[in-house]
Amino acid sequence: MKINDVVCPFCGCLCDDLEITVEHNRIVAVDNGCTLANAKFMSKEQLASPIRRTGEGWENISYDEAIQYTVDMLLDADRPLLYGWSGTHGEAQCIGVHVSELVGGIIDSTTSVCHGPSILAIQEVGHPGCTLGRVKNRADVVIYWGCNPLEAHPRHMSRYTTYADGYFLQNAFRERKVIVVDVRETETARVADEFIRIKEGGDYAVLSALRAIVRGKGDVVPESVAGVSRSQLERIVTLCKDAKFGAIFFGLGLTMTRGKYKNVRNAIELVDELSRHTKFTITPMRGHWNVYGSNEVFTWMTGYPYAIDFCRGIAFYNPGETSAIDLLARKECDACLIIGSDPGAHFPRGCVEHLAEIPTVVIDPVPTMTTALADVQIPVAVSGIDADGTAYRMDGVPIRVRKVIEPTLPNDREVLKSIHAKMKEAKGQ
Amino acid sequence: MKVTLEVKPRQKPYLPIEAEGIVPRTFFEGTDSLTVFRGNKELPLEEIFNVAIEGEAESVDEVEIIILGDSSRIKRVGEYMDGGRIHITGDIGMHCGNFMSAGEIVIDGNADAWLGREMRGGRIRCHGSAGDYCAAGYRGEKRGMRGGTVEVFGDAGDFTAETLAGGSVIIHGNAGDLSGVDMKEGELTIMGDTSRACANMSGGMAYVHGTVNDMIPTFRKIGQEKVNGEPYTRFSGDIANRGKGTLFIRNYKYLD
Ligand code: SF4
Repeated sequence: MKINDVVCPFCGCLCDDLEITVEHNRIVAVDNGCTLANAKFMSKEQLASPIRRTGEGWENISYDEAIQYTVDMLLDADRPLLYGWSGTHGEAQCIGVHVSELVGGIIDSTTSVCHGPSILAIQEVGHPGCTLGRVKNRADVVIYWGCNPLEAHPRHMSRYTTYADGYFLQNAFRERKVIVVDVRETETARVADEFIRIKEGGDYAVLSALRAIVRGKGDVVPESVAGVSRSQLERIVTLCKDAKFGAIFFGLGLTMTRGKYKNVRNAIELVDELSRHTKFTITPMRGHWNVYGSNEVFTWMTGYPYAIDFCRGIAFYNPGETSAIDLLARKECDACLIIGSDPGAHFPRGCVEHLAEIPTVVIDPVPTMTTALADVQIPVAVSGIDADGTAYRMDGVPIRVRKVIEPTLPNDREVLKSIHAKMKEAKGQ
Repeated sequence: MKVTLEVKPRQKPYLPIEAEGIVPRTFFEGTDSLTVFRGNKELPLEEIFNVAIEGEAESVDEVEIIILGDSSRIKRVGEYMDGGRIHITGDIGMHCGNFMSAGEIVIDGNADAWLGREMRGGRIRCHGSAGDYCAAGYRGEKRGMRGGTVEVFGDAGDFTAETLAGGSVIIHGNAGDLSGVDMKEGELTIMGDTSRACANMSGGMAYVHGTVNDMIPTFRKIGQEKVNGEPYTRFSGDIANRGKGTLFIRNYKYLD
């Protein structure tokens, strides 16, 4: 059986044109997707039942036992952390917020290690953004800053920018200019019309210089800024000012390097400055397929997009203090529930060590690096494959991910619902 | 009135204690049931501190709080303080002196991040070093500290005096990256080195008596001027931000 228009639950592009072939409730072929999509749909190594660590290894336990363990662990803690969320659907994230509030814990998504700084910047100066559809149909200048879409978002350029047709462009491929800004010459830089190579840690200075040049104050800018010549910066500014519609996309090269959110703020203020001359927009290249969804859901439920501390009964937000990495590095939490993320694979060592010390439960379909730190793992259906739900694309457009095969395990939503119900019962509510 | 709070050893010493109740006014007005929070558990003050109160006070300014022991994870001490004195003999946790409007906080050790966040008045003196966001603002807020004085005798972390909008900040050691970023008003003095000082500033005044590394390239050089007899370069900016701030810098280096 062939299923059309399937949404890919892997990266923030949320491509919704995949074709999946299913035989006997198994996926046998994936068409239209990139290699990352293929790997995601074809992976097979799901756990069959919840497991608990014993002295020597692991034992299988029932869902009821695993859920009871999680509830007890969370209720015993003084400052539990509920982390992850970008690998699950919006409905499950909702229940996650309810659980966090009920237990008085801290809820944080992987945002705090990827585009958290983008949000901090947006909270300072706003977000002149737009949908990817608008970029596809209108943009004649596209800037990729500190990101490498050809490797991290493989279909971004073909669906929305360089290689996509545009309704308002005669010959999109020729008319669109692509500018890549990075510290090294990436795959993406090689297909760009203009490549700006910046010295490491120099993004902020280059953005400031561009802003001054756009304002006609280029005379204050030194001959060379962070490895980029003033003449190249002037050329870029002319290109941008002459654009009919410009779009900046940025990645972790901007958000996770020196200055972090102030880099992003500077980029937004450059867009603001350019918009006095033409139309410009800016969009973060969100990584996980539904990390944007976690921000949307948390914001409409708590008022804050990530790193929300419910310990005092009300929502408190202060990334740097209430974000997962900082909490773990400073050992400021005493239990952890992880869902839809693999911090064991990419958190700094000190954080991983603390995770291993405190009681930890992982909700994840497959064994990951985080499993090695956990006391209990609860396997679940995979959103977008055998569970459905809502996700948000990197430009904030909600898209429903579908279920293409019948599940054999409960999904995130169901597991979290039971945790929430048991917790309410224990609290006598 | 002298209030002595001695921190007791805790089973989970890393879990922060939130103690915004520790301000002179609370003790001046009398407290039978002051509580602090350890995560989501509300506890009586006495469970975390040995408390001793001596003498009387006619006004809040006659109250002195002395904190002894390991207070490095006690947060929000002196929040909204409006008079009196707090003397911390060791290190202090985050958000010490948030929003304070009057009185004095003296820290003998180091202060963690957000020391004197959004402060309005009064005085903080930290004899050790301060963490990131010393004398800074809050997330998304346009204006940070608006009045009073913060003086750090050691070093300060990144984003010192971020969005400064009044008052004065003096760092005797070095300050981290992006000190005075987005500042609007007020005065920042750094005796040592820093990097990318006053990026995106729109107003206010800053002196750096050491070296500014990776100087922001969009400040206009006004010329050489003498400060206390020494030659300094005067800048105005940040031009990228239509800024009208003034910088006096002893030495600077661009990232070119
Ligand atoms: S670009 Fe992203 S969303 Fe699209 S198919 Fe590849 S992994 Fe999936």
